[in-house]
Amino acid sequence: MRAEALESYRALPLPDTTEEHWRFTDLKDFDPDSYGRGQTPAVRDTSAGMLELDVAGIATITESGVQIERAPEGVTFEPLTEEHERLYSLVGWDEKFAAHNAAVWKHGLLVVVPKGVELDKPLYVRVTNSSEDGSLFWRLLVVAEEDARFTLVEEVASTAADLRSYTNTAQEFFLEQGSKFEFVSIQNLSQETWHFASHHAQVGREAELDWIAGGFGSKKGKVRIQNDLAGEGATSRVTGAYFTDGDQHLDYDTFQEHIAPNTTSDFAFKGALRDTSTAVWRGMIRVEKDAQKTNAYQENRNLMLSPTTHAVPIPGLEILANDVRCTHGATVSRVDREELFYAMARGLSRGDAERLIVRGFFQDILDRIEFEAVRESLAAALEARIPQG
Amino acid sequence: MAVLELKNLHVALEDGTEIVKGVDLSVSPNEVHAVMGPNGSGKSTLAYALMGHPAYEITEGELLLDGENILELEADERAQRGLFLAFQYPHAVPGVTVTSFLRSAINAIRKAQNGGDENPIPIPEFRKELLDRMDRLKVSRELASRYLNDGFSGGEKKRVEILQMAMLKPRIAILDETDSGLDIDALKVVARGVKELVGPEMGALVITHYQRILDYITPDFVHVFIDGRIVEEGGPELAHKLEAEGYERYGVVAPV
Repeated sequence: MRAEALESYRALPLPDTTEEHWRFTDLKDFDPDSYGRGQTPAVRDTSAGMLELDVAGIATITESGVQIERAPEGVTFEPLTEEHERLYSLVGWDEKFAAHNAAVWKHGLLVVVPKGVELDKPLYVRVTNSSEDGSLFWRLLVVAEEDARFTLVEEVASTAADLRSYTNTAQEFFLEQGSKFEFVSIQNLSQETWHFASHHAQVGREAELDWIAGGFGSKKGKVRIQNDLAGEGATSRVTGAYFTDGDQHLDYDTFQEHIAPNTTSDFAFKGALRDTSTAVWRGMIRVEKDAQKTNAYQENRNLMLSPTTHAVPIPGLEILANDVRCTHGATVSRVDREELFYAMARGLSRGDAERLIVRGFFQDILDRIEFEAVRESLAAALEARIPQG
Repeated sequence: MAVLELKNLHVALEDGTEIVKGVDLSVSPNEVHAVMGPNGSGKSTLAYALMGHPAYEITEGELLLDGENILELEADERAQRGLFLAFQYPHAVPGVTVTSFLRSAINAIRKAQNGGDENPIPIPEFRKELLDRMDRLKVSRELASRYLNDGFSGGEKKRVEILQMAMLKPRIAILDETDSGLDIDALKVVARGVKELVGPEMGALVITHYQRILDYITPDFVHVFIDGRIVEEGGPELAHKLEAEGYERYGVVAPV
C-alpha cells in the first residue's frame, strides 16, 4: 500500500492555480520534497500549550516519534500501525497531499473508545514541529464505537516562531451509531510552516460530531474537512475561528456530504485578517438523492482589520434530493468606522475599541463552544493577536 | 470658569463643504445650554465635531476643555477628559454586552485618569451602581446582558445612552437629539436622568429641534442655530418663543 501511495504521490502534479480548488492558494514557491531530508533531532517539546486542561490521556508527537504519556484505562490510545483495517478508508492517496502523507507517515495515533464508554475528561494530543527545514507527517485514526462519548483535543504548534517546516496531517474519524465525539483542533504553527491537513469523518446513525477548528499559525497550505452524514439522524457541527496576520494565507476547504436521510450539518467559520494576510474558505454542501429531510447550513464571515487583507468565501450547494433545507451565508467586512468612533467616544483607545469589536465579532462563534476551557483559551488567543495600541 | 469653550469654530465635511460657520459658546458645570435649530442646520455635525469624529474637520477656530486645546485629541482622549456625546443614532456593538462594554469604558477612563496605570472598578461596586442606575432610568435589567444596541428599540437605545452618561460621569455632556423618537413617558424618564446629573460636577449641551425636552430640562441658555451659526441667544423664554413662532422668522422655510 505504501508503494501504491508513493506512486500516486509521484504521479500527481503539485496543484496549481488553474485547478478550481487551488485557484486562490498558489503553491509555486513550495517544493514538498525539499523538506525533511536532513536528520531530525530528537527534541523533546517542553513548551506550554495554549490550553490548560485536566486530561484523561496525553500523547505527544514530534518529528522523532509518538510518546504516550498517559492513557486512560479501557480505551485504546496507542501508536497507530499500518495494519489497522480502517486505515486509508477515508483519507487515501487520491490527492497530492493525502498521498504524500499515506506514502511516508511514520507517527500516528489510534484512538478507539469502546461501546458505551463515556470519558469525562478529554484526551489530549500535542503535535510539535521543531526541525528546521524538516517535515512532520502525522496521522490520527479515531473510532467512537456505539454510544461512546468523549472529547479529543489536538494542538499543533512549532517550537520556534520562525521555524521553516512542512507539516502534513491526515485524520480519519469513524463515529458509530449513537456516539458523540467532540474534536478540538487548534493550529498554531510558525508562520514559516507550510501546513496541509486532510480530515475526513464518517458520522453514523444518530451519532453526533462536534468539531472546533482554531487556525492561528502556518504560512500557507490547505485544511480540508469532509464530514459524511452517513447514517440516518446523524449530526455534524463544525465551528471555526481563525486569525491571520503578516503574509499568512489560510485555506479551508470544507465538504458536508449528506448521504442518509434526516441528517443535519452546521458549519460556521469566522475569521479576522490583518496586514497583508489572506484567507480562502470554500464550502460545499452536497445532498445525495436519498438524503431527504437534510438540514444543512454553512457560513463564513470575515473581518478585515487592515485594508490590504483579502478574504474569499466561496459557498456552494449541490442538491440531488427534493425535500431538504439548505442555507448559507458569506460576508467580508471591515471594522465599521462609526462603530469604532462610538466605542472611542466612550473612552476606549483605538486598540481597545478594535479588540472589543473583534471579540464581539467572534462572540457567536465562541458561544457555540460548550467546552469552557477551550472557549476561554480561543477567546484569549484571538484577542492576543490584536496589537496593543 | 468655563469648562468647554468653542471659539469661532468652523467645521467642514471631508469634501470641504463648510457646515458650521463660526460658533462661540461656553459650557460650564451646573449649566444647561440648549442649541435649537431646524433640520439641516448643522447641529449634529457640531455635536460630532466636538467629540472628534474623523469625518468632520475643524477648519478654523479653537476648542478648549479646561483651557486646553483638544482639537488634536482623538475621541477617546476627549472622553477620558470628561466629554460625553449621547448619540442621536447609537451604533450597535454586536457580541459585546451592555455590561461588558460599560465596564471596559469605565476602566479605560479610570486608567487614563490614573496616569495610565490600570485601576479597574471593583466588580461588585460596578454591578450595584449599574443596576441602581438602570432601575432609575427604567431600563429593563435584562438589557444588561444583551449586546449593546443590537436589536434595541429606539427608546431603549436613548435610555441606554443616558445610562452610559450616568455611569461614565462626564463633566460636559452633549446630547444630540436625545428626545427624538421618545414617547412622552420615556422623555420624562430621560429628562429626569439628565437633570439629576447636571450640577457642580456636570454641565449639559442639549441639541434639539423641538422645545419638548426643554419642558423637562429647563435650559439656562438657549442658542438658536441656523445654517451653521448661532443667530440669537437668550434665556429659557426664547425656547418658548421658538415653539410658538417656529424658525420661519429666521428665514427658514418650514418643512411641509
